[in-house]
Amino acid sequence: MSTAIDQQIETFQNQFKKVRDEVSKVIVGYSEIIDGVIMSLLANGHVLLEGVPGLGKTKLVSTLSNVMHLKFSRIQFTPDLMPADITGTNVVQESAVGEKFLEFQQGPIFANIVLADEVNRATPKTQSALLEAMEETTVTVGKTTFRLDAPFFVLATQNPLEMEGTYPLPEAQLDRFFMKLKVDYPTVASLHTIMNRTTRVEEPQVQRIVDKDQILEMRRVVRAVPIARPVQDYAIRIMLGTHPRPPYANATVMRFVRYGASPRGAQALVIGGKIRALLNNRVHVSCEDIRAVAYGALRHRVLLNFEGEAERVDTDTILKSILESTPEPN
Amino acid sequence: MSDREIIIRSLQKIDRRIRGNRLLRELMFGLSILLLVPVVFKIWDLFQPFRGVTVIAVLGLWFIGVVVYFASRLSRKGSLAHAAAAIDKKASLHDELKSAYWFVMNPTAVKRSTDWVELQVRRAAHQVIQLDVQRHYPTRIPSTSYAVVLLIALFVGLNFVPLSQNHNWAYLQAAPAFSLSAEEQRLINQTKQLLKQAEKLDQPELVKKLEEIVQNLQEGNIDTAEALRQLEDLRNQLDEGNLDMANINEGLDEMAKDLQGNPETDDIAKAMSEHDLQESADKLRELANELTKEDDAAKMKALEEALQQASDNNSPAMQKLADDMKNAANSLADKNSKGAQDALNQASKDLQNLADKVEQQLAKNSAAQQLQDLQDQIRQRQQQSQQGKEAQQQAGKGQQGQKSESADAANSDGESGDAEGSGAADQASGQGKEGQQAGKPGEGGQAGAQGQGQNPSGAGNAPMNIMGAPTKLNVQLEQEKLNAESEGGTPQNLEEASKQERSKLDYRNVRSELSPAQKDVLTQDKIPWEYKSLIKNYFQAIRPPRGK
Repeated sequence: MSTAIDQQIETFQNQFKKVRDEVSKVIVGYSEIIDGVIMSLLANGHVLLEGVPGLGKTKLVSTLSNVMHLKFSRIQFTPDLMPADITGTNVVQESAVGEKFLEFQQGPIFANIVLADEVNRATPKTQSALLEAMEETTVTVGKTTFRLDAPFFVLATQNPLEMEGTYPLPEAQLDRFFMKLKVDYPTVASLHTIMNRTTRVEEPQVQRIVDKDQILEMRRVVRAVPIARPVQDYAIRIMLGTHPRPPYANATVMRFVRYGASPRGAQALVIGGKIRALLNNRVHVSCEDIRAVAYGALRHRVLLNFEGEAERVDTDTILKSILESTPEPN
Repeated sequence: MSDREIIIRSLQKIDRRIRGNRLLRELMFGLSILLLVPVVFKIWDLFQPFRGVTVIAVLGLWFIGVVVYFASRLSRKGSLAHAAAAIDKKASLHDELKSAYWFVMNPTAVKRSTDWVELQVRRAAHQVIQLDVQRHYPTRIPSTSYAVVLLIALFVGLNFVPLSQNHNWAYLQAAPAFSLSAEEQRLINQTKQLLKQAEKLDQPELVKKLEEIVQNLQEGNIDTAEALRQLEDLRNQLDEGNLDMANINEGLDEMAKDLQGNPETDDIAKAMSEHDLQESADKLRELANELTKEDDAAKMKALEEALQQASDNNSPAMQKLADDMKNAANSLADKNSKGAQDALNQASKDLQNLADKVEQQLAKNSAAQQLQDLQDQIRQRQQQSQQGKEAQQQAGKGQQGQKSESADAANSDGESGDAEGSGAADQASGQGKEGQQAGKPGEGGQAGAQGQGQNPSGAGNAPMNIMGAPTKLNVQLEQEKLNAESEGGTPQNLEEASKQERSKLDYRNVRSELSPAQKDVLTQDKIPWEYKSLIKNYFQAIRPPRGK
């Protein structure tokens, strides 16, 4: 049996590596971002990419969709975008005999990979159209509920909130993202590579590496990785450490945080840790795995209070203090 | 051996190693700290020797402390989970053993992933077999153990420091309860010598008694007062059965007068008149030896008369000698030279015995005098000790009084003035009080006697105010004008200080000197302090730039 598991792990690692390498043909640098996006996909979660315009967020997502045999759709969020533009709507159709009837026209959300580009440029009302799909993988229009095909994966990009014409995402929707990844400016060396690849006649092409079944199998493998109670306890304590209440909160959290992460945060820590363990050829989750995914999994779940907002405290700073103040289990 | 057993046994081995290293480290560290106590105590002992009881008590408590510390450390047991976590961190195993141990100990909690758990446990077992525990947890002698050895050596060495005041605790030596000074020790030694001589006077064991008294005093079995009393008893014992030297001297003088004028006994008379008993005995022996050679009847007759006259001595101490003289005179009267010679020899022996007794009596007297000196020395130290204690007590009281005095100097001056006005004795008493209160440590013993009043006997007898003078406000009261009339009825304007009394005004009705704005600042502030800087920054940020 262990041989079969070893084989599953090896397959998982190979496929993960292939996807990463293929995406890296187009996306230069951002290896952590690429890993985070793939991990979110394998964790049956969704990912929010934040960065100023022009850093290749959309390119990353579109490249990822090209690497997989999955149905891809893109939604450009704008202030006048309506929920029905995302979910679809009933339109009047006429039959061959001239009889009119309502037929549901599926919106772009009916895909495996949905790129919600500049998601925070739409109003909260429209943003909320994604809520049901992201959590339940269903879409309800009128009295009819439609089930979305698995895997369903939302990749949302957003500009920093300081940009003009942006609406902050509702807390409920933020909580539904498995990870929030920050896309920073590439290094000089990466920029050189980007120039070389994008200013020539031929552009790099990617191949489709994995299909739907392979992704679903990889998701199953991830969930099979066992986690010991002490390590799980460590993840829970970190999650509870984001709440500004004793006994787990430290002074920084008590001062700057209004609300902490929900249990989804702990789930993200554990599942992210499992994927990282598999990538490191381990069949157990370590505290180090939990720490490694903590920033991506929790940074969007920590809501600052007035003082934190006023002093422009970075949630990563708070998470760093939580990780430092939370002891590993003995 | 199953994977489970491999993991458990390996963790047990690691736990033992971790615990051993931890115990060694903690015990050595604790011991290095704890050993400072006896070392410091011993160094203290070098300067101020402690009695055996104190040493035993302190070292006993210290030993109990050490045992408790050791017991507390030894009773702390680690867990295998802790060992797993420790070796995970040490060998960078990414919580592999910690997870495996938990899976092994909680098999029912992970039913759904049994195959994966088995694989994890197998991998962990394989990993733990390859671990080199000695490499990760080498047995090291902690650096504090060197400090422990050093402190032990220092402690032992301090016991053997060749100082007169040092007492070797290893040999169960400690400072006596009463330490004798060099002068006192000399007196005791001399007294012992003298008492040994005195023992010949049928008073045995005097030396033993003195040694017992000194030993009991040094060991704290008796206090100084009891030692003085026993020394007094010993001295009284010495005084028992003293020879009546006046009577002996009187008898010698009388006998010398009787023997004077006879050429045969002139030397004896001279020696007797000088109260030289030894010389007198020698001369008598010489006379006895020459008696057989003498054949002059007139001389014999004269000698007989001189001896007869000398035998007529009423002194009780000389009675035996007088009898011998009488026997000699009678023998001479009977022309019995041999008998006279024997009687004179007997007289010489008796005189010799008397000389010995006198000599021993002198030794007893000296010993008694030495004991008296020793008593004086001990009594003097006792008095000094008591004075020192009283001085400390009075110094403490004096300082307390001085503090309260200085709190109200003006009031104190007023009291002094009263004392002067009420009489010399009162003045002396008042100054005596001041003298007591101003006493310094070590001088307090005399502080009570430092009053300089007109009646010195009143100095220092003033009752001490233990609580000190009441604290009062040292204020300069305003002069206020009073309407008064002189004896003739003419109005006068007098000024005198306001009387100090309790306020009749409720403090809440006292008008504040603060302006409304100031009061508002003090009382009206509803902005949480932690937001003050933010608000300040906000208003600074929106302030229009200068020049616009």
